[in-house]
Amino acid sequence: MGFSRYLLRRLGYAVIVLFVIMTFNFAIFRLMPGDATKMIIDPMFTPEAIAELKRQFGLDDPPLVQYFKYVGNLFKFDLGLSFSTRRPVVNELKERLPNTAVLFLASFTLTTIIGISVGVYTASKRGTFGDNFVTGAGLFAFAVPSFWIQLLLLMLFGYYIPILPIHGTMSAPPPDGFLLQFLDRIHHLILPAGSNVIVAFGSWALYTRNTMLEALGQDYIVTARAKGLPENTVLRHHALRSVLPPIVTLIFGALPGMVSGAVITETIFSWHGVGKYLMDAVMQQDYPAAQGAFYLIALAVVICNLAADIVYGIVDPRIRVGEGGAK
Amino acid sequence: MKLRRFLLPVAICLVLAMTYGSVTAGQVKWEPYGPQVDQIIMPIIKDAEAQLIAFNRGDIDVYPGLTRPADINVVKANPNAELTMNYGFHMFYLCYNMRREPLDADILRQAIAHVIDRDNIIQTLFEGYMLPLAAFLPPSSGFYKEDIPRFPYNPEEAKKLLDAAGYTVDPATGIRIDPKTGKPLRKMTIFTPTYEVAPTSAELGKIIAEACQAINLPIEPEPMDFPVMLDKLDMAEFDMYMLAWSLTRIPTSLYNFFHSSNDVEAGYNRPGIRDAELDKLLEGLYYAPSEEAARKAADEAQVILARRQPYTVLYSRPYMDAFRKDRFTGYVPMHGYGAANYTNKWTTLNIKPVKGKGGTVRWLLMEEPKVLNPCTASSAYEWEVLGRLYDDLMEINPETMEDIPWMAKSWEVGTWEPEPGKTGTVITWHLEKGIKWQDTTPFTSRDIKFTLEYLRDNNVPRYISNVQEIVKVETPDDYTAKVYFETESYWHLYRAGGNFLPEWIWKDVKDYKTFEPWLEAHPEVPGLTKVVGHGPFILDQYKVGEYVRLKKNPIYWRLSK
Repeated sequence: MGFSRYLLRRLGYAVIVLFVIMTFNFAIFRLMPGDATKMIIDPMFTPEAIAELKRQFGLDDPPLVQYFKYVGNLFKFDLGLSFSTRRPVVNELKERLPNTAVLFLASFTLTTIIGISVGVYTASKRGTFGDNFVTGAGLFAFAVPSFWIQLLLLMLFGYYIPILPIHGTMSAPPPDGFLLQFLDRIHHLILPAGSNVIVAFGSWALYTRNTMLEALGQDYIVTARAKGLPENTVLRHHALRSVLPPIVTLIFGALPGMVSGAVITETIFSWHGVGKYLMDAVMQQDYPAAQGAFYLIALAVVICNLAADIVYGIVDPRIRVGEGGAK
Repeated sequence: MKLRRFLLPVAICLVLAMTYGSVTAGQVKWEPYGPQVDQIIMPIIKDAEAQLIAFNRGDIDVYPGLTRPADINVVKANPNAELTMNYGFHMFYLCYNMRREPLDADILRQAIAHVIDRDNIIQTLFEGYMLPLAAFLPPSSGFYKEDIPRFPYNPEEAKKLLDAAGYTVDPATGIRIDPKTGKPLRKMTIFTPTYEVAPTSAELGKIIAEACQAINLPIEPEPMDFPVMLDKLDMAEFDMYMLAWSLTRIPTSLYNFFHSSNDVEAGYNRPGIRDAELDKLLEGLYYAPSEEAARKAADEAQVILARRQPYTVLYSRPYMDAFRKDRFTGYVPMHGYGAANYTNKWTTLNIKPVKGKGGTVRWLLMEEPKVLNPCTASSAYEWEVLGRLYDDLMEINPETMEDIPWMAKSWEVGTWEPEPGKTGTVITWHLEKGIKWQDTTPFTSRDIKFTLEYLRDNNVPRYISNVQEIVKVETPDDYTAKVYFETESYWHLYRAGGNFLPEWIWKDVKDYKTFEPWLEAHPEVPGLTKVVGHGPFILDQYKVGEYVRLKKNPIYWRLSK
C-alpha cells in the first residue's frame, strides 16, 4: 500500500472518530440529570423569564432539531453562546487557549527534558544512591496528589518565603515596557510550571529508565561496548536512540494537554485557562461551553493521533506496509 | 414568652463573642460623599488558599465574604487585619414535603423541629460563626419578627408531642406508629448535596436524621448529586431536603415560597403548603398598598408559618469581611450586605488610606466577572464590578436600613386607574440636578424611560419580574419620571430604581445578549468603554483572568467637598 493511501485511510478514521465524539458530546450533557436553566435562573425569576431563557438558548426545540443545529454550527466552528455568560464560546476559548498553551509548553518541555535526562542518568547508574534517590523521589511525586504538592509550594513560596507570585499570569497591573512585562510573565510562570514539573517528571524518568534498562541489555549494546565505544556514546547514540519511538508516542499522546489544560494547576494558581473553563462548564451544566471545550480537546487528540500515525508511517515503513499486508 | 424574647439577644451575643474584636454596623462614621481613593484594583484569585495567603502577605487590602472558620481564625490572628461582621439575608433551612404522608401532619414537623439543636450544630460544624435562626426572615430584614411560635431544642418535648398525638412506639420495630394507618411510619429521607460538594450540609442531614431516630422516627440522610436533587425537588419527589436561600430586604420571598399558586411543578412553594388564611395574608403582602399594610401582613404570615413549619429554619450566615487596617480605614459595616459588598455604597465611597490621600485599594475578586453587560450579568462577581459604576435612585442607610434619597431627591407612591375598576401603582421620581453620565452627558428622566422600556420590550430575563407590569413611563420634565404599574403594590418602588442604561449607546443595540460593551471603545470619549455609568468609579481596564481596574469618576456628582 502506498503512503498516500495509508494517509487517506488514517484521515477517514480520524473523521469518523471525530463525528462519533461530536455525537457523544451532544448526547452526554443532555443525558445528565438536571435542567441546565436551573443553574442560571434566579430564585425570583418569573415563569415568563424562565421560558424566555429557554427560548433564547434553543432549549425549547426538540432534541433532534437541537442536534442538527449543533452539528451544522460545529462545521462553521460556531460553538454557540455560553449559558452562564451568554458570550460566544469561541471567544471565551480564544481568551484562555494562549494561557493554557504557555503553561503546558513550559511545563511539558521542562518535564520531558528533566524526566528523560534523569531516566537516562539513573539507568546508567543503576543501583547507586543517585538512582535510588531519584527513583524514590519520582515515585513519591507521582504517587501523592498533585494538589497537595502544589498547595505546599504555594504556602512555601507564597507565604513563608514570599518571593514568587501566587496567582495569575501577570502582575495587576503589569509593569511598563515589553522586557519588564516579559520578565513579569516568566516570574508568574515559575510556580505553576515548576509544580507541574515536580509532579510529572517522575513518570517520565521512570518510563525512560525502564526502557533504557531493557535496551542496555540488548546484544547490540554489548557489541557497541565490545567495540570499545565510550559509555556516553553507547548511551546516547545506541540505547537512547532505540527507545525514542515509544517516547515519541508518549509525547504525541501528551500534546492534547496543551488544549485541555491542567484543571488543578489552573485552579490553584488562578491561571485563566481552558481546563478550569471546562470544569466550571461541567459543574454549571453549561452545555455549549462544555461541548465547545470538549470538541476542541477531541480535535486536538484526533490531530495528534493522526500526526503520530503519519510520523510513524514515515519513520517505520513496516507500519504503513503492514496496513495492507506485505508486498 | 419572656424566654423567647431572650433567645435572639443570647444568640447574637454568642456570635459576637466568637467574633470579638470585629466591627459591626453602626460603629463607624460615614459620609455620603466620595470616593476617597483614586482607584480600585480587583485581582482575580480563585483558590481559597491563595486568597488567604494574598491577604496575609499584603497583596490585597479587602478580602470580602470569608466563610470558612479556619480562614476566619487565621485572619483574626493577623494584627494588621480587621474583621467586620454583619448579619446577612442568608437562611439555611430544612424543608418538609407537606403533600406526602406522614409529613402532612403539623405535629410531626413540630416534633422534628424540637430535636434540632441549633447551638450545638453551629458550634460543631461552624465553630460558632453562624447565627441560629428560627424565623422565616433573618434579623437584618426590616420585616423580621421575633415574637413567633418556636420549637426550641427539647427532645423530651418532641416525644411528649408525638405520644399525645397517638404516634406511640411500636415495641416490635422500635418505630413510631402512624395513628392514621395503625402501622409503623414509613422510612423517610433527608436529601442533601453530597459531602464533596457541600460537606457541612451533608453532615447536617446526618445529624438531624440521627436526632430524629433518637425519638423513634425512621428518618435517614440521603446525600445526592445537586442537579439530581434539584430535579427531584421540582417534581416534588422528596420527603425532606436541606438547602439555603439568599434573600433580599424585600419580604415578598414569603409569597414566592409559601403561596399556594406557587405549588406547581418547579414552583418555589416546594413544601407544597396550601393554607387559605396564609394565602390571603401573602397576597396582602405581595400587593400591599403601603409599607404599613405590608408589615402587618408579613407579621401575621410569619406567625402562621412558624406554627405550621413548612420549613424548619436553622441558621443564617453573617457577612464576614476582612480589611488591612494598617493601610486602609473608612470601611462601613452594614447589616444585610456586609462591609465589602457592592450594595454597600458607603464603603466604596468612604474607604481611604490610613496615611495620605487617594491611592489604590486592592479589592479581591474571588471569581472571574466574565460579563460586564448590565443586561446579562448574573453573578455576584460581575455586580461587584458593575455595582461600583452605577448609582441608584435610592440608597440604604447603613445604620437604620431605611431608604434614603440618592439620585432621586424624593419620590411619591400613588395610585391610578389602568382600566375602569382596577387600581395600579404610580411611582413619581424627582431627580437631583447636575448628575452626569461618565461621558459628561446629563442624566435625565428620559434615561429612566428608555431603560425601563428597553428591558420590558426586549424581555430581558433578569428584569422581567421588575418591568413586566409597567404600562407606561411619563417624563413631564427632565427631572421627573412617572412610572405606571398595572397592579397596586408598594414593592413596585423597588422595581424601577437602578441599573439605568445610557440611551445613546443602547438604542442601537439590537441583541443585548451578544453585546460586549466592556470590549468596545466609547465612540467619543478616549479611555472609556461602552460601559458608561454615573457611579463613583469608571471601568478603566478588565484584563480577563487577571484583574479589573476601576478609576475614580472625576465628574461624580457626589465628590467629596
